Amino acid sequence: MNAITKTDKATDAGVSRRFFLVGSAAGTLVLGYAATSKLSEALAAGPGAFAPSAWVAINKDGKVEVTVGKADMGQHIASTMAQIVAEELESSWKDMTIAFASNDPKYNDPVLGAQITGGSWSTGMNFDAMSRAGAAGRITLIKAAAEMMGVPEAECQARESRVRHTKSNKAVTYAQIVASGKAAKVWTADELKAIKLKAPAQYRLIGQSVPQLDIPSKTNGTARYGIDTFLPGMLYGKLALPPVRYGAKVTGLDDAEAKKVPGFVQAVVLDDKTGTTSGWVVAVAKTYEGARKAADALKITYDKGPHAAVTDAAIVAEAKRLQAEGTAGFLFVKNGDSAGAIGTAAKVMEAEYLTSLNIHAPMEPMNATAREENGTWHIYTGNQFATRTTGIAAAVLGVEQAKIVMHQHYLGGGFGRRLESDMVIPALLAAKAVGKPVKVIYSREDDMRMDFTRPLTYQKVKVGLDGNGKPVALEHDVIGAWPTARWGIPEFLTPAVDKKGPHDSFTVNGADAWYTIPNHTVRNYKNEVAQNATPSGQLRSVAPAWTFWALESVMDEIAAATGQDPVEMRLALLDGSGANAGGDKPQTSGGAKRLANALRTAVGRSGYGAIKLGPNEGMGVAAVSSQERSSPTWTACVAHVAVDPGSGAVTVKRLTIAMDVGTAINPDGVKAQIEGSALWGASIALHEKATMKNGAIEQTNFDGYTPMRMADAPEIDISIISNGEAPVGCGEPAVTVVAPAIANAIFKAVGARVRSLPITAEAVKAAMKA
Amino acid sequence: MINLTINGKEQKVDVAGDTPLLWVIREHLQMTGTKFGCGAGLCGSCTVHINGEAVRSCQTAVSEAVGKKVTTIEGLDSKGQHPLQRAFVAEQVPQCGYCQSGQIMQAAALLAKNNDPSKAEIVEHMNGNLCRCMTYARIQRAILRAAADMRGV
Repeated sequence: MNAITKTDKATDAGVSRRFFLVGSAAGTLVLGYAATSKLSEALAAGPGAFAPSAWVAINKDGKVEVTVGKADMGQHIASTMAQIVAEELESSWKDMTIAFASNDPKYNDPVLGAQITGGSWSTGMNFDAMSRAGAAGRITLIKAAAEMMGVPEAECQARESRVRHTKSNKAVTYAQIVASGKAAKVWTADELKAIKLKAPAQYRLIGQSVPQLDIPSKTNGTARYGIDTFLPGMLYGKLALPPVRYGAKVTGLDDAEAKKVPGFVQAVVLDDKTGTTSGWVVAVAKTYEGARKAADALKITYDKGPHAAVTDAAIVAEAKRLQAEGTAGFLFVKNGDSAGAIGTAAKVMEAEYLTSLNIHAPMEPMNATAREENGTWHIYTGNQFATRTTGIAAAVLGVEQAKIVMHQHYLGGGFGRRLESDMVIPALLAAKAVGKPVKVIYSREDDMRMDFTRPLTYQKVKVGLDGNGKPVALEHDVIGAWPTARWGIPEFLTPAVDKKGPHDSFTVNGADAWYTIPNHTVRNYKNEVAQNATPSGQLRSVAPAWTFWALESVMDEIAAATGQDPVEMRLALLDGSGANAGGDKPQTSGGAKRLANALRTAVGRSGYGAIKLGPNEGMGVAAVSSQERSSPTWTACVAHVAVDPGSGAVTVKRLTIAMDVGTAINPDGVKAQIEGSALWGASIALHEKATMKNGAIEQTNFDGYTPMRMADAPEIDISIISNGEAPVGCGEPAVTVVAPAIANAIFKAVGARVRSLPITAEAVKAAMKA
Repeated sequence: MINLTINGKEQKVDVAGDTPLLWVIREHLQMTGTKFGCGAGLCGSCTVHINGEAVRSCQTAVSEAVGKKVTTIEGLDSKGQHPLQRAFVAEQVPQCGYCQSGQIMQAAALLAKNNDPSKAEIVEHMNGNLCRCMTYARIQRAILRAAADMRGV
């Protein structure tokens, strides 16, 4: 929803008023969007600085380099972008290479108007622009080739990085065309828009599992992550952190012992004007081991601030108070009259659902290296939100944003953690204090204790059923911290339905689901206790991982309470009527019926209702439209679990997942994303729990915080539905569908209903007795 | 001054003997294929071989490596074409890729002793290596593929 609000504005100011230029500079053919129609002006600076955006460059040996303003954190997005370009450019896959953009606005996402990677948005939002870039390149190359061969342009065909004229059996390679310097054209926005892109039946590369371009470098140690940065004269920084997550102040610093550590340089108390960090100190030394020892040797006293007593229980208590009071919510959905319909319903059901704090813990701990040169600050890191990080860096240093250059690297995991910018602050302020480049590497303990956690959420759901057990009213209250509101970027907030003001819809997406329920109210509450004490972040799939936890659990509870089959009941509600028909936007085309199809697919593949299960085993279903209502990826899951009736321990035997991705650009890449996100969902469902005590995150390493390991990974059966509809994201939705499917399977297995994530053996055992 | 043999090459480093081998390899020698993940022997990202055994370099003092053969991902195969490296490409295993050097080094120690491991043996040997992208199924497939390759089947 936010994305679309922003889309219209950004598109208008962006691609639609820009030109697409194809021309030669220094022996390289560059293709890119520009604000000027003057090719010579744009090319004057050469390919390295092609203004404003050299997205594609073909060099004289025919290699095609696609520069991507996106963060590559395992989703192979750069490779996917190259595949989209190559499809229309008709370049050979073996000629394709990838590069990452700096934070220069010229590489901004053409739709979002910023550099941000998240929300499973990249593929869907860039498909058209990348396709047109490739097509414009191909047409320009063909024209030049026809001239070179002295044949009519219309009789030429491009394929595998060559233009051929079949009648005369002549051909020139892209390398030869580039060398000729003849390929040049200024495309107006209208001309670009008029290009007829390929129909799916004509695709040669899209739909093929071509090998991902980044993978070889990740098997031989050559892929470069932010942590792998080395600069001449570089020093190291290690954090010394306060005993609370947020709100502490340094009141005293004694570095007498640290001074005895060889190579110690200085302890820097961070004066962070953005308030991103609080009470942080950086110990700077010539070596990393020296910086660690020095940080340990610092004696720091703190004012622990106002949140030093906060616990999980306090956050839940505040959430319940807010919900019961009922006045602070922002309306996200208001269809019909849910209160009235509940008042006249044949049956009313209520339930509460909880999700714990969760830690991102990407394998590469947070880090950044900073260096100043002639007034310009260079940051070396891997980050999902270069635009915001640029702003924060500038504010921290008190310089203009134009003085910040961020050098993008591979991300050793993102999952939303690297949408944040905290890691650049200690590097910048330490580098400024000591006048030398500084690399700051968080220890794993630093990384976990200062994570921008997935918020602890409390949800209350109330449903009214008619005499046939059909839900006719649904009230859904969602209470938690609001990560996006913390960013302070108004465009990322959404106006409440009742005009009460802007709210953070990224915490409630998914609750506007595609079931046909005539009376539906969703309220979104900000829990200020959580907001202040546990600065929260976007964690892979964000709200749909808790809203569907509640919604898909309650659907099952309704089915169980009214003797309906949970699959048949869902299919009946996914009738695609009214607003759930999907409308004419490519991403929502087909509407709820596509989710019904995905559900049927998963159900059929799993053997649900047909195969014989062992004792204390069960199959549970869930169906989701993650991520946002405007960008649904129709996803269904059947979980097959076994429960140990003695201990309540749950074993997931199999996850069967069906996902309608519209168009799978690289089917094996889609499969890899579904495999990983499904296991992430299972990990959050069963293995991962963070807690707050005395204002601090209690888990500090992989002994206390325990993501799923190989031994716990269930078998996964994946069906990718690629039906020619518009491509949508696939890196997150499976996270959201797995937890409710597992909980519903546990209920089928042993009759235990669990309503809190993660699901523990104790909770299952207790629910069995209840 | 400490003398080390890493990937067959003699290296001299001026560090304290209790410095973790990980930091010597990564930050002093700038061989960055070996990764820092937890600093506590809990994740396996920093796995290297010492005399052919997979060890966690974050838990190994540099002094313990003196006089022994240290092998990192960069030295597993001179051309980066160890059967496991080929198999990890063939199975398209890495996502973010950060843990993969450690996964490959851990798996290489297994296959050096047992080129026909069962799935259970693979899980037991690999369970200490975390992958946050959860590429576990592909890691298993790649190890089985590499093992078959090494057996010549």
